[in-house]
Amino acid sequence: MSQFFNYAVPGVPFGCVFALMSVGLVLTYKASGVFNLAFGAQAFVSALAYVSLVQDGWPRWAATVIAVAVIGPIVGIVLDRLLFRRIRTASPLVKLVPSLGLLVALPQVALIIAGSTPTIPPPAIVGDAQHVYLHLGSVPLSGLELSITVSTIVVVAVLVALFRFTPVGLEMRAVVESPRMTELAGINAGRISAFAWILSSMMAALAGVLLSPLYSQLDPQNFTVLLVWGVAGAVIGRFASLPLALLGGLGLGVAQQVVAGYLPAGVIANGLRPSLPFVVLLVFLPLARQRQIDDPLSGCDPPSSAVERGITGYRSATTVAASEGSVHTVGVWHQRLDALPGGRMTGILTRRPTATFSWVVAVVAVASALTWVPPDWLLTMNQGVAFAVIFLSLTLLTGMSGQISLCQATFAGLGGFMAGQLANHFGLPVVLGMVAGGLLAGALGVLVAVPTLRLAGLPLALATLAFALLADNILFPNSWIGNGASGVTVPRPSAGPVSFAAAKPFFVLSLGVLAVAAGIVKLVGDGTMGRYLSAVRGSELAANSVGIDVYRLRILVFALSAALAGVGGALFGSLEGSLSANDFGYQISAVLLVVVAIVGLGSITGAVVAGVVYTTLQVAVTSLPTRFAGLVAVLFGLATLSYTRHPEGFLDVLSGRVQSVVAERRARRLPGGPTGSGRRPSPPGDEATRDTDPVAEGAG
Amino acid sequence: MTAPALLVATGITKQFGGILALDHVSLDVAAGEAVGVVGPNGAGKTTLFNCLFGLDDPDEGSVVFDGQSIDRMPVWKRSRLGIGRTFQRMELFEGMTVADHLLVAEQAANGTVRIWRDLLHRGGPTPAELHHVEEVLDLLGLVELAGRPVDTLDLGHGRLVELGRAMMGKPRLLMLDEPSSGLDAEDTTRLARILGETRRSTGVAVVLVEHDLALVEATVDRLYVLDFGKVLASGGVAEVLADPEVRRAYLGSTA
Repeated sequence: MSQFFNYAVPGVPFGCVFALMSVGLVLTYKASGVFNLAFGAQAFVSALAYVSLVQDGWPRWAATVIAVAVIGPIVGIVLDRLLFRRIRTASPLVKLVPSLGLLVALPQVALIIAGSTPTIPPPAIVGDAQHVYLHLGSVPLSGLELSITVSTIVVVAVLVALFRFTPVGLEMRAVVESPRMTELAGINAGRISAFAWILSSMMAALAGVLLSPLYSQLDPQNFTVLLVWGVAGAVIGRFASLPLALLGGLGLGVAQQVVAGYLPAGVIANGLRPSLPFVVLLVFLPLARQRQIDDPLSGCDPPSSAVERGITGYRSATTVAASEGSVHTVGVWHQRLDALPGGRMTGILTRRPTATFSWVVAVVAVASALTWVPPDWLLTMNQGVAFAVIFLSLTLLTGMSGQISLCQATFAGLGGFMAGQLANHFGLPVVLGMVAGGLLAGALGVLVAVPTLRLAGLPLALATLAFALLADNILFPNSWIGNGASGVTVPRPSAGPVSFAAAKPFFVLSLGVLAVAAGIVKLVGDGTMGRYLSAVRGSELAANSVGIDVYRLRILVFALSAALAGVGGALFGSLEGSLSANDFGYQISAVLLVVVAIVGLGSITGAVVAGVVYTTLQVAVTSLPTRFAGLVAVLFGLATLSYTRHPEGFLDVLSGRVQSVVAERRARRLPGGPTGSGRRPSPPGDEATRDTDPVAEGAG
Repeated sequence: MTAPALLVATGITKQFGGILALDHVSLDVAAGEAVGVVGPNGAGKTTLFNCLFGLDDPDEGSVVFDGQSIDRMPVWKRSRLGIGRTFQRMELFEGMTVADHLLVAEQAANGTVRIWRDLLHRGGPTPAELHHVEEVLDLLGLVELAGRPVDTLDLGHGRLVELGRAMMGKPRLLMLDEPSSGLDAEDTTRLARILGETRRSTGVAVVLVEHDLALVEATVDRLYVLDFGKVLASGGVAEVLADPEVRRAYLGSTA
């Protein structure tokens, strides 16, 4: 018992910090409908401000006040106003991508503003961090631990008082219960939700400031880990209950120390601690889902506007040619049936006018790559091709099926490691290894999918995030899989007399793999599966009711997507010659999803362009002077902001613009022709699609 | 009722928290028969539907369809057995065309989809499937709209698409949850006519939850009245509607 005590007490400060995050997450989620993963970044920003100010000679109390009570809420309000307020009723993907993008971009932007990373170790807000002030039983309590615990208790006391005894607190409790009911009672839920943002941002800020001294250096990564613990706590609170979230965070902090204490040191113990959130998520997410229908007015939400609702692909690719009373598809997912007057059905698949352009660009790029392009450029292009395969897995999973995965990089890594291990240990040809890697990733995909896929949307995204974290800590360090920091070598393949070791032949091979992957995605999208998937996206309930086994369909797509990611990872590994766990850490998954969502999840072109953009940006980050490298992050942040306006991705927006220009030109060139410029196909995904038929809107 | 019973629900009970939504409700539908379920708002009509269809698990009671117990069967399996349904709040596949709605339902009902078929580019609809789609489009008068995305349809046509989707796969029982809600008189008349034609041409049995008594009287053979989760009365339409208790509980509340 006393040993348990010895292990548990040091966990309390951790638990306090986690609890602050959990409560903040639940508060904003319930008050504004957004599960704000950017809290991790907000915590970092405040921690950075705090340490910078202290380094500049400010007293610690003043630095704390500035960081927690000024910078924290300002960041929160700006994000709420600029971004999150607009997407309250959007699809889970549209809600998630901006917060993920900010999670990545915000710390970089903050580092640019701060000028430099502080060099001093972060101090505790009061007292001496390392000095032991008192003993609890035999457990020494340092200044750091005391300061964390005491300030959390103060914050919680203030919160409780606020909720219990003030009108704002009462209104906020009402909003947390049911925003719609509260609005019906004549309370401005927007104002209350802004207040909730301020509160929760302050909590994130405080968590960041309190946590920073636990590490010797400020590193955004630590704050992302903090976020994941906070998420687990919020899930224990079923996304709904503030006291439960508080207890959940606290309990997790204690639990992780106890687990670490009792288990013998080694990979399992070291790995089990960080993967505790995954276990928690798997156990508690199903419970959280049942709670969501408790809002008496849930289901009474007004239908969100067309643009917000349509994730990608199908909707944004739809164009109505009202002039002829017929419909043409400019999308790719599947052939539309068009009933002709004679009752005959034909498949009509019109090509985008921009498709020809993309092909020309692609051919020129490939021709250049094989002729005059310098080797380092060729390498970048080849990396782009490998990542395009990984992005295609997201096109399939997220674009077509609407599921959100935050562990695609993990699958890519597993595929790559598998290919390398099989080649090194069993002499399996690498090309076969790629296939095997893909199959393994697919099989693992099924393992992940079976417990998690009953959940859709946000819970699934969180579960996959937790799985990625688990893989990073348990699977990747294993010598049979990722071999830890030293990584795994993946040879270049050769088939009999043909060797793909040189750069150009390997590029050709990569293109072949990409073509096969693209073919699979296209065939699935054009076929019955694609039709089923858009049905499920339209209404899961109705899809079930016509006899589609939605659960099985999801597992199938998830596995296929994981397999594609695995092949892409193996290709990348073979290109680089070796892979290490860092190449496909869990944060990479988030970046990948954000990049492809911004570029466009609705088409194969989108995945390819995303691959090129992603690798080019990486080259830019590494080759530019650090000062400019941050600009890439700023750009990334701005693109994230613009994403909420164009969830179909910029490729669709661009091709929509081009299309409307082309259409206008044609209309002008045909004098006496149908002067229907006003009734021209509306450019997909542009403002025009928002103007849906008022009658049809009433139908929702 | 000489025809064999198609759907037999016995003692369905469902409790939500402290509210007893259904209290030992029994209902049977013969093959080809049309049965109406009416009752004031909150009487448990939709809950009964959800229990029959598998969207809710009843706390007690059993459901037998075509001689087979379907108590623990997931929704999609019930659908493939031959139960089609529409929803009170329309559930359409946003962005898809009218014809696609029917085609998806047809293929799902046949259960013929395999991923390897898609990968071999053999995933397209078969001529027979397309033919059935056309038939239903024709039956519902939707041929003109076949290529329209459902988002551009008005409510009346949207309900017809839902009906058509439920009709694919040749169900033996149609469950219609307030198909006329939100429709104007003209649309409702059309719906009643189409429903009648559908029943004549396919012989499908119908369970209809409905507020519009004109539509109910035009469609059903037999009527159940639910009130506070209990069956208040059942039997022929005219006699049930004449029942004084029914008039008080149901018609009285609307008057």
